[in-house]
Amino acid sequence: MADAEIDLLRSSLDLLILKALSWAPMHGYAISEWIDDATRSVLLVEEGTLYPALHRLERRGWIAAEWGVSENNRKAKFYSMTPAGRARLRAESRVWQRNADAIAGVLRRTSSDAS
Amino acid sequence: MSSGRRWRPLFRLPRGRRAVARDIEHQLDDELAFHIRMREERLTQLGMSPDAARADAVARFGDHERIRAECLTIDQQYAREMTMMDWLESVAADIRFALRTLRRAPAFTVISAITLALGVGATTAIFTLVNGILLRPLPYPHAEQLVRVSQSFPEKGLDSWPLSQQNTATYKKDVTDFVHFGAYTLRGVTLSGNGAPERLLAVQVTGDVFSALGVPAFVGRTVVDSEVTKASAPVAILGYGFWQSHFGGAASVIGKTIDVDGTPTRIVGVMPNGFSFPRRDMPLYLPFAVDPNRRFGWYLAGIGRVKPGIAVVHAERQATTSMWNWARANSNLLWPKPFAPESTHMHAVVTPLQTAITRDIRRPLLVLQAAVALLLLIAIANIATLVSSRAAARTPEIAVRTALGASARRVARQLVTESLVVALIGGVIGIALAIIAVRVFTAWSASALPRIREVGVDWRVLGFALGVSVVSGILFGLAPAVRMARGRRLADDLAGTQKASARGAARRLNNAMIVTQIALSLVLLVSAGLLIKSFRRLIQTNLGFEPRGVLTMSVAFPEKKYVDEKPVIQATDVILQRVRALPGVRAAAAATYVPYGGVTTDGFLVEGREPPTSAGAETQVVQLGATPDYFRTLRIPMRYGRDFTTSDRDGTLPVVIVDEAFARPFWRGQDAIGKRMRFTGDTTWLTIVGVVGGMRDQDAAQEGLPHAYTPYAQQPGGPPVLAIATSGKTAPVLADVRRVIAEVEPGAPLDNVHVLSDAVADALSNRRMTETLLTSFALLALILAVVGIYGVMILYVTSRTREFGIRIAVGAEPSRVVRLVLREGIVLGLAGVTIGIVGALFAARWIAALLYEVSPTDPAVFVGLAIGLLVVAVGSCYRPARRAAAADPMLALRAD
Repeated sequence: MADAEIDLLRSSLDLLILKALSWAPMHGYAISEWIDDATRSVLLVEEGTLYPALHRLERRGWIAAEWGVSENNRKAKFYSMTPAGRARLRAESRVWQRNADAIAGVLRRTSSDAS
Repeated sequence: MSSGRRWRPLFRLPRGRRAVARDIEHQLDDELAFHIRMREERLTQLGMSPDAARADAVARFGDHERIRAECLTIDQQYAREMTMMDWLESVAADIRFALRTLRRAPAFTVISAITLALGVGATTAIFTLVNGILLRPLPYPHAEQLVRVSQSFPEKGLDSWPLSQQNTATYKKDVTDFVHFGAYTLRGVTLSGNGAPERLLAVQVTGDVFSALGVPAFVGRTVVDSEVTKASAPVAILGYGFWQSHFGGAASVIGKTIDVDGTPTRIVGVMPNGFSFPRRDMPLYLPFAVDPNRRFGWYLAGIGRVKPGIAVVHAERQATTSMWNWARANSNLLWPKPFAPESTHMHAVVTPLQTAITRDIRRPLLVLQAAVALLLLIAIANIATLVSSRAAARTPEIAVRTALGASARRVARQLVTESLVVALIGGVIGIALAIIAVRVFTAWSASALPRIREVGVDWRVLGFALGVSVVSGILFGLAPAVRMARGRRLADDLAGTQKASARGAARRLNNAMIVTQIALSLVLLVSAGLLIKSFRRLIQTNLGFEPRGVLTMSVAFPEKKYVDEKPVIQATDVILQRVRALPGVRAAAAATYVPYGGVTTDGFLVEGREPPTSAGAETQVVQLGATPDYFRTLRIPMRYGRDFTTSDRDGTLPVVIVDEAFARPFWRGQDAIGKRMRFTGDTTWLTIVGVVGGMRDQDAAQEGLPHAYTPYAQQPGGPPVLAIATSGKTAPVLADVRRVIAEVEPGAPLDNVHVLSDAVADALSNRRMTETLLTSFALLALILAVVGIYGVMILYVTSRTREFGIRIAVGAEPSRVVRLVLREGIVLGLAGVTIGIVGALFAARWIAALLYEVSPTDPAVFVGLAIGLLVVAVGSCYRPARRAAAADPMLALRAD
């Protein structure tokens, strides 16, 4: 994969994790399921890559981790969103939205120009 | 809960770093395993066989090793950051706690901070001087390669012998260790053309001086040796300040011509602002060509730049070899018969320029630096007693903390933090004090110290001050902290009933501090006392002349008009006659030099005596021309014979008046009159007609050289310097004298106008500064020590109130209690004084070089100050003793 693509993937993965946790605290497996459902399995080719992203977000203070008990009574590490993470999600999604709109607009225009 | 937060760091359980690392790995493995297990279960639910589900779950997870490693790295960094944050937070908490505690004890905080501020302030102020003058490199590129070159020929009485033009040329040619070698001299010049003629002190330089210094011109250019010849048109390079004041800083000044001593001189460049050679703010640099054939006239100072990596001593050896070769070829100049220079002590003197500039001030500065270090130690000892007495009062508080699980280390850390906060407060105030002190000082002594205008507070000074404060804080905080933090019994501490041994330890520490303070104070007092005594001796030294009320000034007759000596002599005579008639003038005369104005010396022969044949036999004599009345003007006593008269003039018998230093080795009393002598550089025999008292006309601390005076009208030897003794105020006389000179010769500006007594005082300014500063440091130390002794004795008395009360209750006389306390004071005082005397003996040996006619073991100073300090120390125990005697037995018994 090209570096640019990795960066794009990474930042979109971060955004998706924050989005997932905005509903409720979840453990890693649940987050991966949520992302799979939400993106129809496009993004998480390797489920494991979720974890470095989670740990990175924790280090930056956007999410917090805590050991708890899963729905099937297993010890699991639950992630929840911190206030800083919520602010980050809001800011990032705005930027993402704007960029996506702009790029989509450009792509639409050039394709109609070409035709 | 804010109070819980305050305590939290105190109870944190320490965990090993390895345990933390293991924990991180376990948690990570658990987390990743959980994911794979969940996926596996999900796949099984969807109908896969357990084996296939397991394999699929692992495959879908991806590269397990890589992911694990990536996570681990992040987690470890995170853990490190957290540890750091925790630590910073706990330090911040300690500091907050310390500030709160200190706010509750304002007296302690203020007194300790001010005490330390005095110590740090004094230390920093002196270090600012040391840094600016001794440590900071001179303001030239690669200044460490620059050297000053002079010569020495001890056998001829020439310790610091300047270079001749021939010497300069020889060194430049021979000494290959020098990349550049030039020479310079200072010369008063008259600048005319713009209104009244103006006197300036110009620097005559060879072009190589600029090459050696490596500082390019700010406007225009400097010159190099090859373009300056005897035939080339004279040029000048301006100093920045002169350029601003006389040409308004206009760049168009390049190419303009100024009139220097009647010679049109073209300006080719301006040196940059701050250029300092040989001192700051020299107005004019006049390049000149060295004449390699000029064997006579030693007046130049050499400036060299040694090649990178060449040691100064190597260059000095090379220069000395060159000097010997020159001396062999010119031995007739130096000695009546050929001699081997290598068998004498003749050598070239090559000194790093920085050392050469700061030589005289180095030792005084280091002495002062040592003195303030002692002062600082006294301040630290003082604060240490305060801290430890405070710690004693806080015993219950600390006991509670220890009981609640705070480790000894942790408690000690908290106590040291408190001390460091105090130290930093004191340090910051101290830095402010130092900045003010340095400002005042540089304004006060602007002309006396070399490089004084380069002195300022820089990063090195600030770092020094903060470092000193922190170290001080650790010094006065650590010992009490460690002692407080360990070996306690909770019940005792809570009840305030310490074991006798613990109290004994506290007392021992305080006693040690008192003894230290007394000892250090005595070292400072004795050093200051020795300097004061020698300074007193110095200013009471009989200089051999009376400088008070004597105005001196040189008159620069325009060279173009006064080519010959005759008109100079005549004009001087006219001026003197009119000056003598002025109101308020007691006497007036002229001479080639006046005291404290620099001299030239020469060797001499006495008729009928063997010329000096061996090394060490020749002495130098100060040779100067003087008009009649010169001795009366300066009140130099006439011992035998007569003064010059107006009939001692060109064409009459060549005469000379010598001083006692000259006559003593050859004749007794009257015998000198009628004998003849001549100077080595001259062939005329001069008949001695008078003997006058000797004088110290260079340095009050040094035995004066022999002098030989010739009548100014027979042998002027240079332009006249007037000496005018006034009977009242000097200022109105000076105005009159200016008027008289302007009438006689409008083109002659006055130069070097001084009141002779000021010149004498200026020559002592370094000594005066050292003495004044050292004395103030010693007094400050004394005050600190007295306060310290008083404080500790009060503590001592308070801690034994019960004992004293009981003694009085069972019938002891209060005076007995007073004696008991005073005896304690005397024991401590004697111990301190004894140690102090030993320290002072060492210190005195070190400052011996600064002393004048005072032995470094001067008994009066040692005994007097030791007794004085003992009395003061015991005296400061008196009030505490009275308080002990007043102890109320009933109150004392109920004290617990």
